[in-house]
Amino acid sequence: MDMELIQQIRGKARSLLEEGTVEGVIGYERAGDGVTSRPLFAYDSSAAERLIFDDTCTHNLVKYLLGKRGKKMAVMVKPCDSRAINLLLNERQIDRDKVFIIGVGCPGVVETEWNHKSETLQARCRSCLLTKPLVYDVLLGRELARKAEEETYSDILEAEAESVVSRREFWREQFSRCIRCYACRQVCPGCYCPVCFAEQLEPLWVGIRIAPEENTLWQTIRTFHLAGRCIGCNECERVCPVDIPLSLLNRKLEKDVKELFAFQAGLDPEEPPPFATFRKEEMPELGE
Amino acid sequence: MGLESPFIPYVATLKMSTQLTPDIKLLSVELKDPDTRAGFDYKPGQFALLSAFGEGEAPFGIVSLPGQGDGLEFAVRRIGTVTRALQELEPGDILGVRGPFGNYFPLEDYAGGNIIVIGGGIGMAPLRPVINRILQQRDDYQQLLIINGARTPQDLVFQPEFPTWRAAPRTRLELTVDRGDEHWKGRVALVPDVVKELAPSPNNAIAIICGPPIMIRFTLSVLKNLGFKDNQIVTTLEAKMKCGLGKCARCNIGDKYVCQDGPVFTLEQVSQFLEQP
Amino acid sequence: MNLFISKDDLIRWLELLLRERIIIAPIRVQGQTMFQPISKVEEIMFDFDNTALSSKGWFLPPTETLFSVRRDDGQIKLMPATVERDAIIFGIRPCDARGIALMDGPFLQVPSDTLYQERRNRTTIIGLACRQAQPECFCTSMGSAPDDPSHVDILLTEVKDGYIVQVVTEKGKALLPKGWAKYKRKMPTPPQLKTVPTKGIVSAIREFFNDPYWERLADRCLHCNICAYVCPTCYCFDVRDYPDKGKVERVRSWESCQSPGFSLTAGGYDPRTTKGERLRQRFYHKLLYFPERFQEVACVGCGRCGKACPVNIDIREVISDLHQLAEAKSGS
Repeated sequence: MDMELIQQIRGKARSLLEEGTVEGVIGYERAGDGVTSRPLFAYDSSAAERLIFDDTCTHNLVKYLLGKRGKKMAVMVKPCDSRAINLLLNERQIDRDKVFIIGVGCPGVVETEWNHKSETLQARCRSCLLTKPLVYDVLLGRELARKAEEETYSDILEAEAESVVSRREFWREQFSRCIRCYACRQVCPGCYCPVCFAEQLEPLWVGIRIAPEENTLWQTIRTFHLAGRCIGCNECERVCPVDIPLSLLNRKLEKDVKELFAFQAGLDPEEPPPFATFRKEEMPELGE
Repeated sequence: MGLESPFIPYVATLKMSTQLTPDIKLLSVELKDPDTRAGFDYKPGQFALLSAFGEGEAPFGIVSLPGQGDGLEFAVRRIGTVTRALQELEPGDILGVRGPFGNYFPLEDYAGGNIIVIGGGIGMAPLRPVINRILQQRDDYQQLLIINGARTPQDLVFQPEFPTWRAAPRTRLELTVDRGDEHWKGRVALVPDVVKELAPSPNNAIAIICGPPIMIRFTLSVLKNLGFKDNQIVTTLEAKMKCGLGKCARCNIGDKYVCQDGPVFTLEQVSQFLEQP
Repeated sequence: MNLFISKDDLIRWLELLLRERIIIAPIRVQGQTMFQPISKVEEIMFDFDNTALSSKGWFLPPTETLFSVRRDDGQIKLMPATVERDAIIFGIRPCDARGIALMDGPFLQVPSDTLYQERRNRTTIIGLACRQAQPECFCTSMGSAPDDPSHVDILLTEVKDGYIVQVVTEKGKALLPKGWAKYKRKMPTPPQLKTVPTKGIVSAIREFFNDPYWERLADRCLHCNICAYVCPTCYCFDVRDYPDKGKVERVRSWESCQSPGFSLTAGGYDPRTTKGERLRQRFYHKLLYFPERFQEVACVGCGRCGKACPVNIDIREVISDLHQLAEAKSGS
């Protein structure tokens, strides 16, 4: 653990709280297992003393800003998480003036599960080219010069080479395990519809059956709702209790959107995602 | 095989569907099987789950009294998919009935007392059998004060019965609306304010109240100011419900299961979770 | 009286049983251990920590049809779903077996849930005692034990060369062939577990209905349904109709009190609108409402919820916190 960085984080949180700049600071603390970390909402300076930061801090805390709309909050943001800030700014879901962003330099986070920390860097970190958050009010820790490799989508290319039948079979098996716990949705910073289509009754989009057909429909629509919006934090895959490889779906769409529109979500707060824009020249057959 | 699933409803026929207000219909329902029909006994306050096959099932208070009128009656307000399907049924159509479920208003215990019935909107539905049972046994009770409120005059339910209620001995019917119209000459006031104005005495009295949560909350505080104790205030709770059997846990509010412990509660039993701001 | 069976004989016995019955057992699926119907005995995992999901799904499936509606010539027929075959659920840990016993409370109370009851009647439970405890385990604090035979029909305990067979019920006895040797040696010592201070929790939690603790804890809660769906005792469900080509099925599926629409009525009334109220409901139901009705805390100490929670909300920590709150209150 980088104690110097942690002291800086605690100090900043304390002053933000004591000066009344924010009502609360959303950061990380050590989890009950003593090994991993968990989100912490610090509302006073004594709670701020529990803040930590290390390579187990995988959670994308930006999601929590959606539940604190209207309140002045500070949030700890890794470089990757900052793309979620941009996404939500672009989609007018958060108010920049209400959010104090504590950017932290990140050495990459490792694969963890409860009570266990591995030495393996998460796959998304291995291809992360961001050395510091894209947006912040204060930057703590070092800006990192890391050796990351550009995303090559090798697993996606492999999957694309498979036949339709074998892909369908693969996903049918994967989705048959889905228990519709909606953890993938609940953790996603891009999932914030007041009423999710999965719960809508009129019209009814997807039934309550926890069965391959409905699960496939649920996961397919969920993925498409994130096309050009997924910022790649991969929290959905991490939280899935039945280990469905959701990053394959999300990154397939990320790759397609990159190729078709030269766009990646969350890099720029001003540029709207392709599916939130309409240009006439894209649909010439519509005429005038 | 051989076990009778408690999820399987009685098959019933819609006998009549009457528009009570712009969004509420009174459904008269007859159970198909004569033996089941004869054995279907219930008390004011109990409810049943109605099925519109293909849309689903939802709970409704039984608003009729056994042996009076046309079979089982339910007041259905159009608020979702099941209620819409039930409203679209035509006489002769099939529906499902499960019940009766839940407890009831212990009206025998109130004999000799004054009764104040306070209902708002569709909240009058479960109170209708209370009023009609008291009128049936009018000598058993002292004063009956009925306060019936709705958003607009058209939204007042059970209007055809108002003359009967008014004409009954020692019975007073007070109507109120949130918004009047050109024909309305009655009160324009919120239910809690009417209760405050009429200021019924808590002496030897029971207040039975049903309506939207906000109305209940403000009426409760008025009643308490008037001196009503928590055991003199009785209400019937609405809750999401899927089984009616104490299993699905959807109607669990606080430590109560509305389908089994309720729907009728004294304020004493439910104040912890009703009075929260 | 305990018997002994070699691993080879156990496999032969299971092969015989599989000819006549469905066997549900822990098998390896995509790197996870799951209870699923097996087609071959070789699929069974005999050595595993615990399954990712509990065994409740066999008795209360994630989704099942309650009855179907058929219309013929203006007549309507309601056809109840039935359980077709006898089954064996093999390899249940004592904690999960206790979970089933707890679910019996709501599901077998009159009027009983007939589908559940039929599955219960037609399923024989063969448990597997735990020879090792996992870090998430705390069953001994919840009225069970790694070698608890109370809620199974037969309990197997792995020893060198084979298994000790404890025949617990008549139903279990009926499955047994004749001629197995008696096991005369001492029973192995069960593993030791960390303890959780569950004593007095039912009365402790009562005092904190309106405590800000729940809103604070809910701050980090994602309100997903993982905890409820991995839990052996969470049993809330949803019911809906599925119309399909003139046929209608009434279907029930798992549902959780953490879902946004769980307690929202069609009319728009919701008794639990805040995240804190929803999270509190889960713990109140487990630690107060269920014990009030069925005399037992609705937790078996399997530790799955704490292990699977993406934000480390852990019932053990909640129990300790509540005791601390209670101490602070009595001290002040």
